[in-house]
Formats: sequence, C-alpha cells, structure tokens
Amino acid sequence: MLDLQELTNAVGNLDEPKVLGMLKNFVAANPGIEETTAVVNACQQGMTIVGDLFDKKEYFVGDLIFAGELLTSAIDILKPAMGKESSAKVGKIVLATVEGDLHDIGKNIFKSMSEAAGFEVYDLGIDTPASAFVEKVKEVKPDIVGMSGVLTLALDSMKNTVDALKEAGLRDSVKVIIGGNPVTEQACQMIGADAFTTNAAEGVKLCQGWVK
Amino acid sequence: MADAKALAQERTQLFHDIIDGRIPKRVPVFVGFPVEFAIQYAGKDLVEAQWDTSQLEEIFDKVCRDFYSDLLPVNAFRFPSFYRILGARNFVMGSNGFLQHPEVEGLLQEEYDDFIANPYNCIIEKILPRLYTELDTDASTKALTLAKAFKAFQDEMGNAIMIYGKLTEKYGYGDTNFFAGFTEAPLDFVADQLRGFKGISTDMRRVPDKVEAAAEAATPLMIKAGLHPIPPSKYNATFIPLHMAPFMRTSDFERFYWPSFKKLVEALAEAGHPSHLFVEQDWMRYLDYLYELPENTVMRFEYGDPKLVKEKLGQKHIISGFYPISLLKTGTKQQCIDKARELIDILAPGGRYYFDFDKAPVTLDSVNVENTRAVLEFVATNANY
Repeated sequence: MLDLQELTNAVGNLDEPKVLGMLKNFVAANPGIEETTAVVNACQQGMTIVGDLFDKKEYFVGDLIFAGELLTSAIDILKPAMGKESSAKVGKIVLATVEGDLHDIGKNIFKSMSEAAGFEVYDLGIDTPASAFVEKVKEVKPDIVGMSGVLTLALDSMKNTVDALKEAGLRDSVKVIIGGNPVTEQACQMIGADAFTTNAAEGVKLCQGWVK
Repeated sequence: MADAKALAQERTQLFHDIIDGRIPKRVPVFVGFPVEFAIQYAGKDLVEAQWDTSQLEEIFDKVCRDFYSDLLPVNAFRFPSFYRILGARNFVMGSNGFLQHPEVEGLLQEEYDDFIANPYNCIIEKILPRLYTELDTDASTKALTLAKAFKAFQDEMGNAIMIYGKLTEKYGYGDTNFFAGFTEAPLDFVADQLRGFKGISTDMRRVPDKVEAAAEAATPLMIKAGLHPIPPSKYNATFIPLHMAPFMRTSDFERFYWPSFKKLVEALAEAGHPSHLFVEQDWMRYLDYLYELPENTVMRFEYGDPKLVKEKLGQKHIISGFYPISLLKTGTKQQCIDKARELIDILAPGGRYYFDFDKAPVTLDSVNVENTRAVLEFVATNANY
C-alpha cells in the first residue's frame, strides 16, 4: 500500500514524476475501491497544500494551473480503479465565463480546484449568455452557480445573469459566487451574488462552506 | 495655432527634462484611453465604429478635448478588419464588441525542437496557419489573403496615424513617443502566441530545457520587431507590455524570463531605442532585476509599493503608473485628488516621473468621468516643482 502522506506531500510539491509513479504502481496492484478512495482523498489534500502555498506567495498562478493539470493526470490513472460513482460528489457547480468575455484561465483554475475538492462541475465555457446559465441550472439543479470574467464589463453580464435566474424563479435555489479581476464587494452587492473572490483557492473554500 | 505650437514646445520640454535627468517645471501627464473607451465616450456603437474607422477622428477628438494629457492620449493598434481577414484565433471580438486575446496554442509541445532550430521558418510554416485559420490553405490563396490583410492593416494604420498627427497639432501635444515601436519579452511571446498561459505553465515543469531554449531562440526576432523605423532617439521608446513574470515563481523567472528579456532591452538600447515597459501586475519581487536594465528605461507600474520603487529605481529609470483607476470609479472627487497628491509626493521628488494611471480604462464604465477629468486637471495645474 502506498504511503498516503508521502503522496499528499508529492502533490503539494507538484512533483509530477513522483506522483504519477506512485499512482501507476498503486493501480498495477489492482486495489479495491475503498483503498482507491483513500488515495483520491490524499491527492485532494495535496491540492489543499498547493492552495496554502499560493496564499503564502510561494506558489503563483502558473503553479495553480500546473496543479490542475497534475490532478487531471492523477485522476486519469486512478479512474479504472475507482469504480462507478465511487467518490460521492460534495455538490454541483454550474460554471462559466459570462457573456461578452472570452477569458477562461481563472475559470479553469477554479474548475480544476473545485473538482479536486470533490465538486461536480458543469462548465459552459466562455461568452455565456444568461439564458444558457438558466437552462443549465434548470437541467442539473446545482448547489452553486459560478460566474467568471476579466473585463469590467463582465460585471454587467453577471448582473444580467443573476436577474435572469431571479426571473426564472431559480435564484433562491442556488448560491452565486463571482470571480475574476474586476470583482469587489461593491460589485458583488450590485450584482446580487452571495460571494466574490479573486483567489480560486478561497473560492473553493467558500463553496465548501455552502455545501457542508 | 501659434498657441498650440508653444504649448507643444513646453510639453516636449517637460518630457525631455525627465529623460535628460533635469527637474521639469511640473510633473508631466501622459494618460492613454483605448479605442473602446473613446468610442463609448463619443456615444458611438462599439462594433460599428471599429469596423467603420472613418468616424475615428471625431471619436478621438472628444477624448482629447475633455481629458488633460501632455502627450496624445488616444491610440488604437488592433482593428477587427485585418484580424477577420486572417481568420485570427489570437484576437477575436466577443459578442459585446470587445476585441480580446483568448488562450491559443500556436505551437504544439512536441514541436518545440522545430521552433528552437529555426524560429522564423517554424512561425511561417506551422504557427501562422494555426493562429490565422485563413492562412491554413494552399500557397497562392495564402499569399492573396496575406496581401489583403496587409492592405487592410496599412489602410487602418495610415488613417489612424494621420488622425494622430492632426490631433497632436490641434491640441499641442508634446513630441515624445513612448509607443514608437512594439515588441514582447521573448518568454511572453512564447507564452502568449505559441503555447498559451496553461501550456507554458506546464512546460516550465515538464520540458524546462525546451522552454529556456525557445525563449532564447525567440530573442533575435523580438529584437528585430522592437527596432522601429522611427530614427533612434532617447525620446522615442519601444513599448513592451510585460505579462508572465508575476505569475511565476522567482526561481522560474530567473531561469526562463529574465535572461532573454534583459538581452532584448539591452540590444534595443544599444541601437538607440529605449524601452517603455508596462510593468503589469505586481513586480515588487523583481525590483533589483529591473534596476539592472539600461538607464532611462521607462517603467509604468500597475500594482506594488511606489515608495519602494522610487527608492530602488527612481535615480536611474523613468517611473510612472500606480494611480488606481478603480478609485476613479468608486471614490469621491476629493478622495481621487488626494490619492494623486499622495502619489506625486512620493514619486515626483528628483524628477524622472510622469503621471499615469495604473492601467488604461478599457470601458467607459471603468471610471467615473468627472473624477477622471478632475484628477488630470489637478495634476496638470498643481504638480509644480
């Protein structure tokens, strides 16, 4: 059995060869679903270390992006051993860059970190009109709606999206979080969102607080 | 007209003074409003006015009329016409009419060796057809498309430059050009156009030797791009917007970013072209590096500690920026003016400083127009030495 603490640390150190090596050896021994779940959790805890190092300014945005890539590769290796629906999802997030805005780096960082934290994320992509949010919320009934944007203009689109959710009678069934360069407390109030952040790791913590 | 000429002379003198290491009569002001802001300010349709550039003079004139600046405060260098002809994937208009730079991958990870061996050929053969979908075709169609795009580019730029000339004459702007040329730090070029933010962030860990070699290989091309046709002068600078460094660990910066970037700025300086850096995001970790660049490098800062910057760089380089445009949106007029005073008190002593915002307001609603005008007027009339 692999050393879970060592794996967590290797993920935290973003030591890709070591992480992937450990996981390949682990999967080769045909592990059970329970063991595999423990290994997935260890990887997720490694991502928490990454978030902490980011807060401490030891890691930077480039490292968060790489961490997301590393976790995707890790999960790909573990998938055959995970069984169907083995890891219970902690919640659902409908996520997109809002209408008019084509930037998706921040959104993708948040996506990979929230997936690492056990959320099921429905990513609608970029330049997403309010109506697409409404349709997806109706369809998958998420706990959380995440809106991302870099242009100041994205704030208007975020407001339109919240208004559209209200009109469709869906606003009270979800929490709304906004992220990206232009978001501030004031913008958050104007838009009618529940929370705002410019830090993906913090955003994930806020979401975890909502689904506890 | 005589008044405008005298005004222009006085303004030119302000900038020559800060570049020549003399204390100017007052703190010069140079702010820039992007074309999107100008179009919205003039009450025009964003999409229409970017396509039909015959309205551009009227649009820019309104900004020049209403916002104080000692150098021409408007510019546009990306128009949808030529990007559309090329089928560009690296500059695309969003549904709201804003031309944006999406993540692109012009070079695949397995193609690094091709780029390193011969960057120019690799750009022509592999990268251009990937970034510009209309060039992904047979040779003769490609040649025609490129000719059309360059015709559009020359037409748009010719029109814009003519307008700049008219407005400079009309409003008596100073004769100093901090946008005389344009280039990128070699690693930024590799990141922005070849591998994308995500690609480069993973490459630095997975194939570090290739990233280092690619930045080195791109350097001669970036130097060539930065040697603009305006005759060398210490009063005309090549603009280099900096991108990746604040998002990297310091050890990665030292290896992948700094050596080729330093080489670029030094080569331009040697050819008589100073550099004008937009020091985007927060570079406080790297101030000792910036100090090493050739004297009189113009540095406009977005975030960070102005005191520290003045202390470390203020004797050698030309400093600007730091004024938060977010305050122009949310603050009262008095708060906005107080902030300008605070920054001038820190940055103006000893000269080598001109006033600018921390970044350009892309949209009209990024700022409160009255606050913006009040701050510019305040600096122009009160920041005397």
